[in-house]
Amino acid sequence: MPLSAFLTVSGVLFAIGALGVLVRKNPLIMFMSIELMLNAVNLSFMAFAHFLDSAQGWIFVFLTLTVAAAEVVVGLAIIVSIFRSRTNIDVDELNSLKG
Amino acid sequence: MLNLTPFILLAPLVGFVALGLFGRALPRAVIAMIGCGVVLIGFGLAVADLISMLGVAPAQRVSDVTLWTWITAGTFHVPFGLLSDPLSAVMLLVVTGVGFLIHVYSIGYMEGDPGYWRFFAFLNFFVFAMTLLVAADNFLFLLVGWAGVGLASFLLIGFWYTRASAAAAARKAFVVNVIGDFGLLIAIFLLFGAYHGALDYHTVLGIGSAQAVAPTSVASGGVLLAIALTLFVAAAAKSAQLPLHVWLPDAMEGPTPVSALIHAATMVTAGVYLVARAHSLFSAAPTSLVVVAVVAGATAFFAATIACVQNDIKRILAYSTMSQLGYMFMGEAAGGFSSGIFHLVTHAFFKALLFMCAGAVIHALGGEQDIRKMGGLRERLSGTFWLFVVSGLALAAIFPFAGFWSKDAILGAILQRATTGGSGWYALYAVGLLTAGLTGFYIFRLIFVTFFGAYRGAPVAAAHGSGHAADARAGDPLAGLHRPGLALMAPMWVLGVLSLVGGALDLPGSQLLNDFLAPAAPSAIELTSALFWVSLAAGLICALVGIAIAWSRYGQGQAPAGDEVKVGALVVFLRRRWFVDDLYEGAIVRPILALSRGLRFGVEDDTLEAGSQGVSGAIGSLSAGLRGLQTGFLRNYTLTLFLGAVVILVYFIAVSQ
Repeated sequence: MPLSAFLTVSGVLFAIGALGVLVRKNPLIMFMSIELMLNAVNLSFMAFAHFLDSAQGWIFVFLTLTVAAAEVVVGLAIIVSIFRSRTNIDVDELNSLKG
Repeated sequence: MLNLTPFILLAPLVGFVALGLFGRALPRAVIAMIGCGVVLIGFGLAVADLISMLGVAPAQRVSDVTLWTWITAGTFHVPFGLLSDPLSAVMLLVVTGVGFLIHVYSIGYMEGDPGYWRFFAFLNFFVFAMTLLVAADNFLFLLVGWAGVGLASFLLIGFWYTRASAAAAARKAFVVNVIGDFGLLIAIFLLFGAYHGALDYHTVLGIGSAQAVAPTSVASGGVLLAIALTLFVAAAAKSAQLPLHVWLPDAMEGPTPVSALIHAATMVTAGVYLVARAHSLFSAAPTSLVVVAVVAGATAFFAATIACVQNDIKRILAYSTMSQLGYMFMGEAAGGFSSGIFHLVTHAFFKALLFMCAGAVIHALGGEQDIRKMGGLRERLSGTFWLFVVSGLALAAIFPFAGFWSKDAILGAILQRATTGGSGWYALYAVGLLTAGLTGFYIFRLIFVTFFGAYRGAPVAAAHGSGHAADARAGDPLAGLHRPGLALMAPMWVLGVLSLVGGALDLPGSQLLNDFLAPAAPSAIELTSALFWVSLAAGLICALVGIAIAWSRYGQGQAPAGDEVKVGALVVFLRRRWFVDDLYEGAIVRPILALSRGLRFGVEDDTLEAGSQGVSGAIGSLSAGLRGLQTGFLRNYTLTLFLGAVVILVYFIAVSQ
């Protein structure tokens, strides 16, 4: 399979993830969408690594996975504490920090 | 020779610090004891200094002690040095001696005032600043003392600061005095230039040096004249000479002991001291002495005429003080520097006493100062009355009271000067004689109106329900009279004796003071010459004529015309104080206020304020617009983020093709 096929799949996955972040109100779904975007990028890294025969892409993927794991931990902790204080986690209602 | 000057300075400073820090918590007796005690210590030390000074030859009576160096900058040194010479010894004795008596008087006068400790702290501070002024051995420390007494004067005039008139008078005194401080500062700059950075009396005035450097060999005539005139600006402001006199009558808003100490006996004579101290500079620029003579003669006459129509007991004495200071400067202008100092000393005795007597009358009547509401106090206040007469006779220069000898030494000096100096000096002498007559008139007008005839004022309220009830008779308006106590009367008796015999300091033939001052302040007249006897007689006749006119008009205790009575143009002219105050009001005060108002509303509000408001307004509206971007909605931010990423992506794609 040519490189363009991988990149196409990667681009579609990324667009789906971005759309999910924009349109969903539930932060858990938004998290899943962000993971989708990250993994779309991972896919393109892997594709490039394979076709260019370079290990740099692999290293980037490991890095991304680590950061994603850390991000999920922090994000879930924030969501839990918001839920505890407001019993509601609709992001459209979390708008008190504004000018 | 002993030089105890540092300790004379230290004593009132200790009193000031102690009372200023802890006075609020101390009982009144302790405050009075500290306040008076430290000045008495100063006086004792000054006497010890004098005795040791009299023990050595006249040529060695100068001693200079340097405590530490105040400023060092390159070759410029200002040591904190204190000079002890005959002139400063006389001044220190007057300041601490008369000062002590007035401190004692204050114990009685300020009794019951809530600011008792503050009053004594300020008085001690004044004595400290005044001793620094007269004991400094260089012009820079003279300036320190000069400004210090100005500050003390400001604080004490405005002592009753809740009274708007007192606060305004204090401000006025301070502003006018700062003009004088400025003059002194300019003089110091000029001296600094002429003497290559030396400001000490030793170098500049040749005090205590074997061969003094003639000022004319150091600087040109023009520079010397400028130095002398700027020094005289300082002297005129401090000593209330024309045209810087306007603060002194208003300064009577302060408590009466302050008027006696600062505005009669000591601070206002600082200008006379300065001219005597710097006599070598004035003598080197003869034109400056002519200026001094004209200003002094004009002031002496001007103030005496105004004193003739005033109706406030303290204001009459204030104008009298101005007039007498004019005499002192006249004597100095004629070359009789020691005569000026002699009159300074006797004036300190009798004018302090006059103010104390006036204070006793005001105290007795519960605060009344208008002589039209007095009268008939002769029997009720007999002690005060006799002391008032003694000091009045001394002021009017009647034989053999103190003022007779000192004022006529001045008139004699002027007459002596006239024999060689020309017709202008005869005119000054004539002004002096005329003023002597006016002096006799106004002071005895005051005495007759206050003490003779019948009482004209409202009934005096009894003092706090005390023992006065016993002698209260029905229909006696003076039943509640507050008789002066021992603390008031004792210092008055001492000054009464001094006013009587003070002339013995410098009698013709003995000339004690004259000889003592000779190394520091030369005199102009041989007090035994025939000329002097003629002058004595002429002065005495003028004063007696003035007293006779006062007797004929007010001898039965007639009240002077009040403001409501229609009076002649001359009296209006005098009552309005020759329109000088009105002139200042119109020519200086109002234009400055108008200018300030214009700057306040035109420049400050419409220009500066509008500009800064515009800048802050523009930034405000900009940030208001930017604030709209922060909506608080997470998806708005995300969308912006994605759009930004798309823009960057599109850019790179566009660049790559």
